[in-house]
Amino acid sequence: MAEVVTRQFVPASQAAVKDVQLRQALRRAGSGFDGTRREAIAEVSEEVWEGWREQARKIKEHTIGHLDYYLAMLERNVAAAGGQVHFARDARQANAIVSEIARRNGVKTVTKSKSMVSEELGLNHVLEANGIDVFETDLGEYIIQLAEETPSHLVAPALHKTRGQVAQLFAEQLGVPYSEDIEEMARVARVALRQKFLEADMGVSGANFLVAETGSLVIITNEGNGRLCTSAPRIHVGLAGMEKVIPSLQDLAVFLRLLPRSATGQRISSYVSMVTGPKRAEDEDGPEEFHLIIVDNGRSRLLRDPALRESLYCIRCGACLNVCPIYQRVGGHAYGWVYPGPIGSIVTPGLVGVAEAKDLPNASTLCGACRDACPVQINIPRMLLHLRHQQAESNDENERTSSDTDKLLARGFANVMSSPLLLKLGRTVGRAVSKPLAKSGKIGETRLPLISRWTQARDLPVPAERSFRQRWRDELSKDGR
Amino acid sequence: MTSANMGIPSAEFLASVRDALGRADAPPENAYEPLTDDLATLENRAIEVRERIAGELPELSRRLGETAALRGWNVTRCAGVEETLDYVVSLARRLGATSVPRSEQSVFDDVPVDAALAGVGALCWPAVYDGPDSREGIRRRLADSSMGITGADYAIAETGSVIVLPRRGLSRLVSVVPPVHVAIVRQSDIIGTLDDLFALRRLEYHQNGQSGTADMGSYLNFITGPSRTADIEQTIVVGVHGPREVHMVLLDEE
Ligand code: SF4
Repeated sequence: MAEVVTRQFVPASQAAVKDVQLRQALRRAGSGFDGTRREAIAEVSEEVWEGWREQARKIKEHTIGHLDYYLAMLERNVAAAGGQVHFARDARQANAIVSEIARRNGVKTVTKSKSMVSEELGLNHVLEANGIDVFETDLGEYIIQLAEETPSHLVAPALHKTRGQVAQLFAEQLGVPYSEDIEEMARVARVALRQKFLEADMGVSGANFLVAETGSLVIITNEGNGRLCTSAPRIHVGLAGMEKVIPSLQDLAVFLRLLPRSATGQRISSYVSMVTGPKRAEDEDGPEEFHLIIVDNGRSRLLRDPALRESLYCIRCGACLNVCPIYQRVGGHAYGWVYPGPIGSIVTPGLVGVAEAKDLPNASTLCGACRDACPVQINIPRMLLHLRHQQAESNDENERTSSDTDKLLARGFANVMSSPLLLKLGRTVGRAVSKPLAKSGKIGETRLPLISRWTQARDLPVPAERSFRQRWRDELSKDGR
Repeated sequence: MTSANMGIPSAEFLASVRDALGRADAPPENAYEPLTDDLATLENRAIEVRERIAGELPELSRRLGETAALRGWNVTRCAGVEETLDYVVSLARRLGATSVPRSEQSVFDDVPVDAALAGVGALCWPAVYDGPDSREGIRRRLADSSMGITGADYAIAETGSVIVLPRRGLSRLVSVVPPVHVAIVRQSDIIGTLDDLFALRRLEYHQNGQSGTADMGSYLNFITGPSRTADIEQTIVVGVHGPREVHMVLLDEE
């Protein structure tokens, strides 16, 4: 499995906030994707969009609710089309299956199109350890493979890199002249990968959807690398989380409308490829073997908890990342594993264990922007609260987030807030204490206990001269009443 | 396959999923309507779709052209075979194409591109593999070609997409390897929506199924505009791994 550094969320996010280039990259991408997404929704009208979301949610609810049934149907139909389905309980098993297929076929070179699951599994390292050359072919993935990094966004893996950084990387790793011309950089990648496509023995792809009825694997791409990976090599291996299945071909239509619009604002991506089994005898080309690997790797934990089950409806569009005030400040790497942002804060604790990822459910303002953006209406804030609650109440030391002091503080806060007298007292004391610390109305970095964690990265305003309650009494309540 | 390195048996995997769901081993209580394989229902739906399309054809064709242009196709409307050939020839001339792979679809019976291109010194050849030895050779020739021509199994007005179903006579690679792709779309290829496509495909699939050979075909590919990426600073670049230039020729048969 890919390395998990989710425990580092706090220091990593603190460092990220201070990274000026990252902030710029995040701002550009976030507002860019979200702007085009909104345009695309306006184009079809809010009403139509809501209808699609409803429909998609119903499909997911039904499918995930009967997941075993649809996985069995999928398996039957892949087999009927001449393909093979393998089931992996965890990352180790999934990697072993791919390695075994490669070994049996004497595979030397693998081309890959984007697959978040393979990132999750850490597949590349395993294949490389077996002496196989692995080439990521999606431009973003190719960049981060050269840089030996992990993706920082669900749909734009190299979003954190500026053109200058990519130019530098290409010059160092590929020995080409330094050029910040993006067209030129894309050309360099094309030339570097073209030969690999044609000589690779095995192509590995992810899956955006799996259609149970027909046994088809559907991938949605823009560059054409997915088409080449699934067509040119002798063997095609598809990797998918078990939640990717949908029942009918008819169900696919609504997801083809929702996913590209939510991801990049595109009305449809350049390519949608449906693969059903290996090449038939009469086909001109295509792989001779087709393998589909269905991966659990912790998903059944999310499935088991009715409060978290809907996290498996996710179609990995990234819309929730693009609107999240936290993701937009700290970027993807701070989250410490493969799935960042609001949905990552739920999926990651589910897949790697709550004890490993305690900070993630707390990395949210609960503003609800993610839920509103989500094409399958996933109620992310509700699940974050659920996880926080679980952590606060957990009997397991390793899972618990709140110390006894925190609990005491929270209880004290609740008492103060429910008593007007105490609130008033607290305000007066707070103001008296904070005034000497403040510069121009704000408290900057301080070493005072309790508030220093806040002031490390942001200013703390001094309580106002007159409280809201006072102002309400004195003036606001008179207006227009 | 039960070898230790090939994962766990499906029965075991599915049982654990059932266990997580707290569900018995049974189909959904209510039949899921979108899965219906009742041929009469599917046939009726397909007839409805076909009739609606026939009734709206000029409008659908107009919308297809409009949407396709927005999605990055160079759209040309040709009044007949002559005009289509002229367009293809002028394109080949501009590109200086000497080798032009094409599919072996029925559209080329009506639109004889081979002869027309031969007239300007370009060899137009069907990318058909005859024997296992031809695979490498054909791939090399495809990689060296500057344009490829295919027909369309369907063209969707809603999305501006061309659908190709690779099979005998249509290599998957003709429309993705050369840097320029030309798709010739006849009026009869045009459909309205994604739902139309899947209604028609589902009928065909289950019809096959009834005769014992349910088969989707190994591949179904949507092509919508050129290959593109925005992976560096969200700046769009066309022609990454697939064609940088795509042409949709809308052939209005006389
Ligand atoms: S949770 Fe929703 S918005 Fe976020 S990536 Fe998944 S589908 Fe997209």
